[in-house]
Amino acid sequence: MDQSGEYRIPAERADVWRALNDPDTLKRCIDGCQSMERRPDGGFAAVVKARVGPVRAVFNAALDLADINPPESYTINVAVKGGPAGFARGSAAVTLAAQGEETMLRYAASANIGGKLAQIGSRLIDGAARKMADDFFKAFHAEMSGRTPNPAPRPQDDGRAAVPINIQVNT
Amino acid sequence: MYQFNYAKPATVAEAATLYANAEDPVFLSGGQTLIPTLRQRLAAPTDVIDLSGIGELSGIAVGDGKVTVGAFTRHCAVAESAEVQAAIPALADLAGRIGDAQVRNCGTIGGSVANSDPAADYPAAVVALGATVRTDKRSISGDDFFRDLFETALEPGEIITSIEFPIPDRAAYRKFPNPASRYAVVGVMVADFGGNVRVGVTGAGPCAFRARTIEDMLNANLSTSALDGVEVPDAGFNNDLHASAEYRAHLVKVMARRAVSDLLGA
Repeated sequence: MDQSGEYRIPAERADVWRALNDPDTLKRCIDGCQSMERRPDGGFAAVVKARVGPVRAVFNAALDLADINPPESYTINVAVKGGPAGFARGSAAVTLAAQGEETMLRYAASANIGGKLAQIGSRLIDGAARKMADDFFKAFHAEMSGRTPNPAPRPQDDGRAAVPINIQVNT
Repeated sequence: MYQFNYAKPATVAEAATLYANAEDPVFLSGGQTLIPTLRQRLAAPTDVIDLSGIGELSGIAVGDGKVTVGAFTRHCAVAESAEVQAAIPALADLAGRIGDAQVRNCGTIGGSVANSDPAADYPAAVVALGATVRTDKRSISGDDFFRDLFETALEPGEIITSIEFPIPDRAAYRKFPNPASRYAVVGVMVADFGGNVRVGVTGAGPCAFRARTIEDMLNANLSTSALDGVEVPDAGFNNDLHASAEYRAHLVKVMARRAVSDLLGA
């Protein structure tokens, strides 16, 4: 499964970069995240209780960062163990482009899912992944909006908290 | 399955109390989604509260220009109901096309609607017929009920008691079923209320929705040719191994045309 998207974040690139590397910010923006800790080697260890319809499973995720090029880009490699529910492995290439006082965040992710999660969820995995990404960036957008002093009003901020400009899911 | 506490209350109030006092509870209706999920260990609730013992949740009543279906009414009962067949034949037809006989003998309308599976059939009828979802706390308009993938306006612990469908002059439902599961890859219901046409779509997006552009075209001219030039953007549509977003957008047009054709009796 491949998925990509882009989001306009109302904050300067250096602030967005810092936030994306801050475990507390990440924890607040991931729905169901029970813990997010930075490991000594620079990666993160996360525990997330995912809720998608009838599925409610706790997943342990290890996030490793590679190709780190601050404050412009990195690649996140994610390995997820869901206990009996299954497993997932994926990576996302994230780039930040400064646009005045704002930042355009783009990501391109690919993932492989196995175990029972894949068997029962194959019909729904793509929609669920897209929703989770969307929920994360909505929360991240709100988080960054709160930090920006004097955010310039923009035409696309017409009362909607998040501005997903484009999300693509390809199987 | 993991171990859990099981309760089978006799009233809605008792079910709500059990839910409020449990650590991580879940309601069991027909079980066509929940039981496979539990068996696969994809959910581990502490308490399963079985709604099958609540008599007040079952039954079908027709009157005052509407069909009221109790939340625990099984799909087969709606499909076989002479009253529903007479009042809203499209609704009985829809129920008779859900899944297979085993699913229809167990699955319930309340469970289907509360789950808001993006490919479930009933949500198309809730939206197209402008139904009202009654719960133990309030009434929710069908237009406001479905929010997102598996997300509805229901609060945690809120129980659907019945669904009221206004009786249209005529309606038709057509779907493109997945050949294995019979889930709707795309399903469209078109309903005509005295010249006011409503169109509900399931399967295409994260949840059921009204196709307002198609409604406008059919309100101007209720015919299949009215949809000749219709554009259905695929933005936000489901994209999975069964069908691409673009293909689903195309199916919306095709199913809408077929439903209009059925509705006109052509």
